[in-house]
Amino acid sequence: MSSCSEIKKQALKKVKGAKNLKELDRVYKRYLGGKGEVFLVLKNLKDFSENKRKEIGKEINLVKKDIEEAIKEKQEALKEIAINEIIEKDKLDITIPGKKIKKGHLHPITLTLRKIQEIFQNMGFSIIEGPEVETEWYNFDALNIPKDHPARDAWDTFWLQGNEKLLLRTHTSPVQIRYMEKNQPPFRIIVPGRVFRHEATDASHEINFYHLEGLMIDKQISMANFKAVMEHFLKSFFGKKIKMRLRPSFFPFTEPSFEIDISCVACGGKGCSVCKKTGWLETMGAGMVHPNVLKAGGLNPKDWQGFAFGMGVDRLIMMKHKINDIRLFYNNDLRFLKQF
Amino acid sequence: MKFSYNWLQSFFKKKLPKPGELAELLTMHSFEVEGIEKKGKDWVLDIDVLSNRGHDCLSHIGICREISAITGLKFTRPNFAESKNCGGQEPQTKDFIKIEVKDKNLCSRYTARVIADVKVGVSPKWIQERLIVCGLRPINNIVDAANYVMLEIGQPLHAFDFDKVLGKKIIVRRAKKGEKIVSLDDEKYDLDESILIIADNKDPLAIAGIKGGKKAEITQSTKTIVLESANFESKTIRLARQKLGLQTDASLRFEHQPDPNLTLSAINRVAELIQEITGGKIAKEVADFYPKKNIPKRIKLELDYVERLLGIKISKKDIISILKSLGLNVKEKKQVLEIEVPTFRQDISIQEDLIEEIGRIYGYEKISAILPLSSLIPPKRNLQLFWEDICKNILKELGFSEVYNYSFVSGKQLSTFHFPPSNSVKIENPVSVKQEYLRPSLIFNLLKNAKENSKNFKEIRIFELGKIFKKGKEKKMLAGAATNEFYELKGVIDSLLNGLGISNIWYDEYKPTPEDSKIAIWHPNKCAEIKIDNSEIGFLGEIHPKIVESLGIKNRVVVFDIDFEKLTRFSSEEHEYQPISFHPAAVRDLAILVPLDVKVVEILNKINIAGGKLVRDVDLFDIYEGEELPDGKKNLAFHIIYQSEEKTLPTKEIDKLHQEIINVLEQDPEWEVRK
Repeated sequence: MSSCSEIKKQALKKVKGAKNLKELDRVYKRYLGGKGEVFLVLKNLKDFSENKRKEIGKEINLVKKDIEEAIKEKQEALKEIAINEIIEKDKLDITIPGKKIKKGHLHPITLTLRKIQEIFQNMGFSIIEGPEVETEWYNFDALNIPKDHPARDAWDTFWLQGNEKLLLRTHTSPVQIRYMEKNQPPFRIIVPGRVFRHEATDASHEINFYHLEGLMIDKQISMANFKAVMEHFLKSFFGKKIKMRLRPSFFPFTEPSFEIDISCVACGGKGCSVCKKTGWLETMGAGMVHPNVLKAGGLNPKDWQGFAFGMGVDRLIMMKHKINDIRLFYNNDLRFLKQF
Repeated sequence: MKFSYNWLQSFFKKKLPKPGELAELLTMHSFEVEGIEKKGKDWVLDIDVLSNRGHDCLSHIGICREISAITGLKFTRPNFAESKNCGGQEPQTKDFIKIEVKDKNLCSRYTARVIADVKVGVSPKWIQERLIVCGLRPINNIVDAANYVMLEIGQPLHAFDFDKVLGKKIIVRRAKKGEKIVSLDDEKYDLDESILIIADNKDPLAIAGIKGGKKAEITQSTKTIVLESANFESKTIRLARQKLGLQTDASLRFEHQPDPNLTLSAINRVAELIQEITGGKIAKEVADFYPKKNIPKRIKLELDYVERLLGIKISKKDIISILKSLGLNVKEKKQVLEIEVPTFRQDISIQEDLIEEIGRIYGYEKISAILPLSSLIPPKRNLQLFWEDICKNILKELGFSEVYNYSFVSGKQLSTFHFPPSNSVKIENPVSVKQEYLRPSLIFNLLKNAKENSKNFKEIRIFELGKIFKKGKEKKMLAGAATNEFYELKGVIDSLLNGLGISNIWYDEYKPTPEDSKIAIWHPNKCAEIKIDNSEIGFLGEIHPKIVESLGIKNRVVVFDIDFEKLTRFSSEEHEYQPISFHPAAVRDLAILVPLDVKVVEILNKINIAGGKLVRDVDLFDIYEGEELPDGKKNLAFHIIYQSEEKTLPTKEIDKLHQEIINVLEQDPEWEVRK
């Protein structure tokens, strides 16, 4: 039987020499296992005198502890090596394209309407919708556009066959009247929706497209208020301060009427092909609601006043995303739609 | 309209701002200037005169008035009405010609003058140049003079060869059905009662307010001319223009209803000009039919309303000066101004019109933005839109891309899908045969999208949420198409409806109602009604192979079509949490051989009834039909998940329950549970 120090020496040497966890396990079994050398020393203790027993016992326990520690340490080191080996083998080519996850896309008009609606909702505007098939009264007469008036020429209209004279709304403004009829001011609403124009289609004209109408009525709503609301909208929508200007215009349903131009988003106002070298882009028509329109909606113009505006949603998206053909919105080519 | 910068300048003593600056000023205060172009020594300004100002601003004088108001430069409006140079000589105009207006509502004024001994020839260079700058073609000195004055004052004029007017009479009347006229440019027009004409005793001489006729044309041999300066009802002119498809410089102006008081100035001005350039003799006096004079309007303007509407305080002094600069007469009262609007501003009739004038001349850019002060009324929630957003988001997550199709379909599409045109809404004036009807279904165009995109994509999943139209009603539908299996799309519908908080969904055999039994849109064996409780909310399935073939679609396409408004009625945000059991679940598999026509739901029902509360879920994981199986049989395999909310189920108990389920299933001699 080897002496305690001899056991320790040999054991530590073997631990050190172990090349992998399996070998280390063998070393463990040989020295610390059920029939290992340390066990044998302990087993033979009974053959010694009590003093000797104590002495050897103490010594062999220290040896045992030392071997255990050495094994543990070695074990950590070997594990690290083993993991490093695995990592080393786990190589990949990060330039291989990622796996395609099948996902859908929302239409740019939906995405833009959501954004516009959120901005106005935060300012307290409710979102209201109305029918796409309208009567002459709501689409024209109630909006102060009398029959056979040259102003009607500005709205090329689709008429429907049938006994009742119906049409496809040429703007979302009829909803102003429908809303006024059923609600008492003060109110703030926006009306998104599909509108129709009877015209030849080209890169900037479609027979159906999207409008967003706004209406704010209260005791003292002024043009200065319109400016503030619109400045906030434009800033939120384009994500930066946008210069805007109001230009005189004419709409039968507003008086005064004005056109809102914004500094060209493509060139910043310097003049380019997008803004036809003017530095400005027409974005919407607006004005102070005409007293005849308030009357048509059942409100007394002496008590109430306010502003209304209407913008072409398609045009706004085209400006924002530099899209040059409105027809892309309705052709539904997935190569276009999947970009949004 | 195109304007000559030099011509505009000629009405001012002081120098006008440079063309570019002038254009900018006009754009910001009056009308958009759409282009500036140098032409010789002159500049052409292309001004988009607003439609409510066509009656006075389709003329150089009108624009001068605007320039004067904007810049403060003094402009003196020439007073042609009382011109001394055209006093004329005997014989008088009425000795030459009589005027007869049949309907004063269609022609509120007709002023005529005669000039004798004219020498028709080319007009002087300065007239020709101005016409050319304004985009008109010089013809001869008479016609050119008339056009010149129209561009200057805004009143269209016409000249007839007096010797060709039969009966020395000019009659303004409605045309008779069958009457024809050959125009100055040799076009033939068929007339009818809706069209107003100028005629002599026998024939039409001109289409009133639109175009002159060949019969009384001014030619080289013309000696004496009759000048016409009239006012026609805009509606009549507009309808005739539309009917004849003939728009002219004259019709454009008449459609904007110029001031009838303009006719006299215009006729005197043109007579003078013609005398000057041709040396003719103007007959004394005018022949003038003008039964009802157009008189100025009076409007009260409340000064505080100006501030209330514009949101800026403009001093009383400034307000008065702006209104005066536009040619309006102002009488001051304390809080109110009394405004007399001259007849040349037909567009101003209420206070708000005046406030617009004040605002735009003062300058909209000077109005600073002020956020409105308003009661804090929270916006109303739009539930339809709320559910729309959720539906769209769910479908997007399920791999569907959203499309926006036209609201129109063709008659051919209707017949392909066996939709009777009588139930569809037809457009009175379609832009093309491809877009003759309003869509009665979203499916038509979705399938078109599927087909077109199949050139670039193997797998297609698209949806649309939009309005469809039937006689007398429109409604929102949610429809989609996918190049998938029926069961995949059924899974999509389950996910969609679950996402909307709807759980009591089931699928029923498609039973066509008598009225739509002819509508064979769906594959008879591969479609289902989507039901919530007892309501049918839509359909799901493959399109009839005949239709698919005629559309030229090669892939398999499954479609769903849901009544969106019905769907939102069942949608709910309420959702109750189901406690998660603390006790482990056990899974047992069960494979069963059943006749081919047995539906899965029959088996599921039996399992659920026999298993009771302890069967938490049953999952179908395999369906097999194949040669190795006995004839007319299929094999279905299920995972049955057993779980109790109260305790850990002992194996024995599970085995017992599983066996009970097997026993129940095997009560049917045709069914065999495979062990």
